[in-house]
Amino acid sequence: MIKLNNRDCEWHEGLTVEELLRLKNYTYPRIVVSVNAVIVPEEAYASTVIEDGDKVEAIHLMAGG
Amino acid sequence: MKLLAKDESLCIGCGECEAVCSKTYFKEISPEKSCIRVGDQKIQVCTQCGECIDVCSVAAISRDKNGVVRINKKLCVGCFMCVGFCPELAMKMHGDLLEPFKCIACGQCAKICPTHAIHISEEA
Amino acid sequence: MEKLEHKFLKEYNYELGAVDKGYTNRTLYINVGTHEIKEKPVTSLMKDKFIGGKGFGLYYLWQAVTESTKWDDPENEIIISSGPIGGITQYPGSGKSLVVTLSPLTNMPIDSNAGGYFGPFLKFAGFDALELQGKAEKDVLIFIDGTKGTITIEEMPGGGVDTHILGEQLTEKYADNEEDKRNIAVISTGTAAEHTNIGLLNFTFYDVRRKGIRLKQAGRGGIGTVFRDKHIKALVIKCAGVKGDLNHPVDKLTLNKTGIKLHKEMHDLDNSQNQMRKIGTANIISIMDQYDLLPTHNYKFGAHKDTFKISPEVFISKVTQNSPDGCWHGCSMACAKAADHFELKTGPYKGQKVTIDGPEYENAAGLGSNCGIFDPDVILELNFYCDTYGIDTISYATLTAFVMECYENGILNKERTGGLELNFGNIEANFELIHQMAKGEGFGKIAGLGIRKMKEIFAKEYGADPQFLFDIGMEQKGLEFSEYLPKESLAQQGGYGLTNKGPQHDEAWLIFMDMVNNQIPTFEDKAEALHYYPMFRTWFGLNGLCKLPWNDIAPADNKLTDEPAKIPEHVQNYVDIFNAVTGKTIDKFELIRQSERVYNFQRIFNIRMGFGKRIHDKLPYRAMGPVTVEEYQSREERYDQQLKELLGYDTTGKTTEEKIKVLREYREDQYEKLTDAVYKRRGWTMDGVPTVEKLRELGMDLPELLEVVEKHR
Ligand code: SF4
Ligand code: SF4
Ligand code: SF4
Repeated sequence: MIKLNNRDCEWHEGLTVEELLRLKNYTYPRIVVSVNAVIVPEEAYASTVIEDGDKVEAIHLMAGG
Repeated sequence: MKLLAKDESLCIGCGECEAVCSKTYFKEISPEKSCIRVGDQKIQVCTQCGECIDVCSVAAISRDKNGVVRINKKLCVGCFMCVGFCPELAMKMHGDLLEPFKCIACGQCAKICPTHAIHISEEA
Repeated sequence: MEKLEHKFLKEYNYELGAVDKGYTNRTLYINVGTHEIKEKPVTSLMKDKFIGGKGFGLYYLWQAVTESTKWDDPENEIIISSGPIGGITQYPGSGKSLVVTLSPLTNMPIDSNAGGYFGPFLKFAGFDALELQGKAEKDVLIFIDGTKGTITIEEMPGGGVDTHILGEQLTEKYADNEEDKRNIAVISTGTAAEHTNIGLLNFTFYDVRRKGIRLKQAGRGGIGTVFRDKHIKALVIKCAGVKGDLNHPVDKLTLNKTGIKLHKEMHDLDNSQNQMRKIGTANIISIMDQYDLLPTHNYKFGAHKDTFKISPEVFISKVTQNSPDGCWHGCSMACAKAADHFELKTGPYKGQKVTIDGPEYENAAGLGSNCGIFDPDVILELNFYCDTYGIDTISYATLTAFVMECYENGILNKERTGGLELNFGNIEANFELIHQMAKGEGFGKIAGLGIRKMKEIFAKEYGADPQFLFDIGMEQKGLEFSEYLPKESLAQQGGYGLTNKGPQHDEAWLIFMDMVNNQIPTFEDKAEALHYYPMFRTWFGLNGLCKLPWNDIAPADNKLTDEPAKIPEHVQNYVDIFNAVTGKTIDKFELIRQSERVYNFQRIFNIRMGFGKRIHDKLPYRAMGPVTVEEYQSREERYDQQLKELLGYDTTGKTTEEKIKVLREYREDQYEKLTDAVYKRRGWTMDGVPTVEKLRELGMDLPELLEVVEKHR
């Protein structure tokens, strides 16, 4: 189990940031992802593996509309 | 197409080109008012690529018969979008002026450059 | 082209004057009934406390009306004003006109903004604002010639009013030649504005690359209806020689630099961010669908299997241009899209090839998915007719969606609609409805009254259940909702419900922050957001600015800042350009206070008109949760889980009706708690009335305001 945006979220061995975003259907182009408070650049989404118990944030930047 | 071609490896950064350019167009010696900028073995000057033509929403920029990209100051409204969109950062702004300015390939600087780092090219 | 006959009713000459630090320090008053024209000085109180734009509009409207004034009384005014920053050419989004009037839909002040050149031209012609009062006997046109310093009121009977024709004719007529057309801006509306309560105003600008006029709308709240009620056919203004220094700013270099910085951001980053230059605001249709936020079938659902048919990619292929356009000079965000050579298939202009401005997200979502229509050409054509007939796309779309649900529920039937089969997705009936509005005939005439009036009629005449109508009629304060589904975001319910003019998301859009990011979990957090964002966004309307360049692009390092959602660097840009124009020295906190003054003024204005209290901030339940069994069941898993997790409610063996009831009680209670928190944060009583202390603190303890709040304490 991990925390995603401070809510419980399913986890499995080898889960990457890229996969997590896909699983959550997070398709918005301006998302800022951090794992344990460290920002992950977009190029590293596929290579960043999330560990059990990690705190992940996927902040959608839009206060607009 | 006429343009000011460059060979950066030859540039010694003396700034003669900047001086003559600003003198020619603004009657003063001021690198800030020069259409060409040099330094660090880099020469920043318009390549006449024409990208700014489409950026200008009042159609104030066009190519003349020699292929040189020119600004019609009468039509220009001073929005400086062309400055922000120039891939070479060669479209310039100065606080004294209402319109941007750029190299029109007149060749004054090429005449004075001691190392021939810049020259007028007329290839198609 | 038919010849336009004009008879002069009045001519007025004035000194041209100059703009000083963003202000001309003078406004123009025109009474179209008595033909009185006068100039008024702008006082320092106006500048200090109301800034400009919508602030000036509300200020003048307050003085023009009394508690009992109705929208169609001659005293009602239409005020148009840009604001101190309005008209600069260097910073994206600096050409908005703000329009204020008493709305036929809400019976209280409405404000709406539009692009196009009128607002900046008005200032350069010598006026910070234009007040229009009175009612003309016959149709009139007002021409302000800012090159000569003359104003004329001209009688203009007969001829068409639909904007795509009238705007073109007037641009042609008042320009000396092709070159001069860029110096003309027109405001007009269309035939449907005369027969409905949802009329809008079209603002033109001349597109020198397309060689034709473009239209931008002040859409919300029925301003076009007031315009036609005053028998104004058009306002035309002429102004030549636009340059970057016409505002006479104190610090032009800062404007240039700040503008170029943003242009460069647009150049470098837009393609990887929101693609505003390529698609404009339509970019979010698919995204809204993927997050279950795209209003579908009158806000029942948030997604639809056919959304791909109206995806941004489809619209890009329709928008033939490859040169992005702004609605005022210097807007490198350039969201103003247009489809050229579009051949109309219905209505009086059938067969004509036209340029259609749009589609913006709201149009595609409202006219499309919300009415069950997934045909891009139909959306474009409806969009075109809304504009040229002069009606607000958003209200039209939302009320049509309401009508369709009523039709499917048997509240309406073929007999009651005069033969229109208004099922979701019925394209033919939809076109018929809009053409009826333009003719003022049939069911179109009833629908054009807006959802609030329709609810009354359907309950009274057809015996429909008023509670059900209240639940599904997506209006509040009389205004139709804009096109986002707020059901799963309590903060956005507040963003719609706790507004001054009605459920329009231009005060706050918090869905992602709240629902997805979970950044504002507590009531206090939400209340803080529902304080900050509405205030911040009000400020655009005081200054003649567009909201989009604030956060539809962000600097590359924005994510590293302490509050990425606010886009801190852009907030600082606004502080800098305000100071650079006006010579004042505000900071980001004073910026919020400037808005708070006007925001509270508007709230008190509403209260003065008999609205603006807690009871008026209630929402239809469709905005908050599932009204019907069908809705609940479509997202059953989600709702069941919420009942279990949030309320410890055991759903086994419960009927859907029982579950709906429990969920509803919970959600309605949440909204009440949110309302408490927001009122507290804004400095209001629990009935939603600004407190005397708050007004004192803001320096807004003006006698006329104190009188109102004392009365409603
Ligand atoms: S100013 Fe820049 S964009 Fe314009 S032609 Fe020169 S290099 Fe190209
Ligand atoms: S600054 Fe002048 S030339 Fe450049 S884009 Fe703006 S209007 Fe066109
Ligand atoms: S972003 Fe769009 S609406 Fe806003 S000013 Fe620019 S072109 Fe106009």
